[in-house]
Amino acid sequence: MKSFVLKLFAVMLFSLSLHASDAHATGAHEATTEVKSTHKEETYQPQTLGEMTVGFLKSTGVYAIMSPDPDEMNAHGQPMSDFHKSWGRVLMILITFLLFYLAIAKGYEPLLLLPIAFGGLLANIPVANIAGAHGFLGVIYQAGLANEMFPIIIFMGVGAMTDFGPLLSNPKTALLGGAAQFGIFGTLVGAVALSQYTEMFDFTLQQAAAISIIGGADGPTSIFIATKLAPELLGAIAVASYSYMALVPIIQPPIMRALTTDDERKIKMVTLRHVSRLEKLVFPVMVLTLAIMVLPDSTPLIGAFMFGNFLKESGVVERLSDTLQNALINIVTIFLGLGVGSKLAADQFLVIDTLAILVLGLTAFSVGTAAGVIMAKIMNMFPGTKVNPLIGSAGVSAVPMAARVSNKVGMEYDRSNMLLMHAMGPNVAGVIGSAVAAGVMISIFG
Amino acid sequence: MEVNYIYEGLKIMLLGMGTVFMFLIVMIVMMNIMSTVVHRFFPEPNDAENTPSPIQGNNAKKIAAITAAIIHHRQVTKG
Repeated sequence: MKSFVLKLFAVMLFSLSLHASDAHATGAHEATTEVKSTHKEETYQPQTLGEMTVGFLKSTGVYAIMSPDPDEMNAHGQPMSDFHKSWGRVLMILITFLLFYLAIAKGYEPLLLLPIAFGGLLANIPVANIAGAHGFLGVIYQAGLANEMFPIIIFMGVGAMTDFGPLLSNPKTALLGGAAQFGIFGTLVGAVALSQYTEMFDFTLQQAAAISIIGGADGPTSIFIATKLAPELLGAIAVASYSYMALVPIIQPPIMRALTTDDERKIKMVTLRHVSRLEKLVFPVMVLTLAIMVLPDSTPLIGAFMFGNFLKESGVVERLSDTLQNALINIVTIFLGLGVGSKLAADQFLVIDTLAILVLGLTAFSVGTAAGVIMAKIMNMFPGTKVNPLIGSAGVSAVPMAARVSNKVGMEYDRSNMLLMHAMGPNVAGVIGSAVAAGVMISIFG
Repeated sequence: MEVNYIYEGLKIMLLGMGTVFMFLIVMIVMMNIMSTVVHRFFPEPNDAENTPSPIQGNNAKKIAAITAAIIHHRQVTKG
């Protein structure tokens, strides 16, 4: 290992010293090859071994990082700073290593974080330009992310995995899923306030909307809105969104404990009634009809979601439902991750905005959790069956993680109190709620 | 005149939360109506009354057979 590093260093020094003397000559040479590139074979000039070696060494990654090419453009064809071409890339590659560690050793949403992180690693390779318009990451991005296709397919798969039974048997818990969307809109105000009162940040309303949707804790929705309203922030928004979804078991419990009393946490909920098959079959069409009437802008998301759910509940297309839940969602997850990773290029990620996105995303998420819990407490002020406020936090739509957290915290105070199925109601309502919130954003800005 | 973005943000918040809640409240009402209708007119055969399913009738015989098999197996493996 040590000798390898020494060799690399020697090569670097060698190429640097040659660079100064040869810069002028090669510049002229490149110009001529560019003009006559169609007749490459005819214009190929014999080179001495020395020239060939120098030419090769100049195409190495080490050389590209040591002395960035002044004419190199980023994926959008805009000039970028020397830092983003050189050490910024090294730093980003180290950040992707950190994401690998979090995904593998800590188990933070590895299904998405690993493809995203590896895509980020590939996007930061100098010379090869993998995330550029003709690199394969760029092609994946154009094929399915720029046109918002992949998040929609993921939504179909999630729909096919979702069981609306718990929501149907206790419909009023849907309100908790609505309250949690306060995280989204509260953070929108926070983000515009931040850009109004500080010189450092300057988010447009569209960008603020794209950032705040992280509070919905819904990965595909975040990606869908980010590509529509602020594609330049996609990388940071997707990473923040999936990181916080992975951190649900760490972020939520302290907020839940702080806002509830001991007695409230021990509230036992009425056993859920049986839901007939017909109800489950009618529900997706019913919600879609409602969306068509009220907010057609939300129908790409709700339509895809309900399509997947309808296939599952119909019971006659087992094969299609199975494909949506497994094969298709897995394939698309790979491409979605890599495509998002292409936005982790240094010139787009290593900006001060990323820091603000991480902080605002966390705020959005925490406010959403708190709003859900508070909503449950408000509902308990009215007569009727009581709701355990711990399931309020499941209103953020991280399915089924948030519901599991509600169950776990509930069990800490009363071993016999099973909240999991009760929490699934607000959880799936949260998915619908954040799709509606996304629809509102699209209707305002789209 | 400069646009006050915070005010704009607050308006979006009001509109957005209003829409989300309205959507969900209408959804809850529709869910309740729907399940009433479904239960009234299309009751599922097995939740109307607890008719014993055909499998349950055979249970006693099956249990007897399984028990006999286990006892037999134990005797065989012991010996």
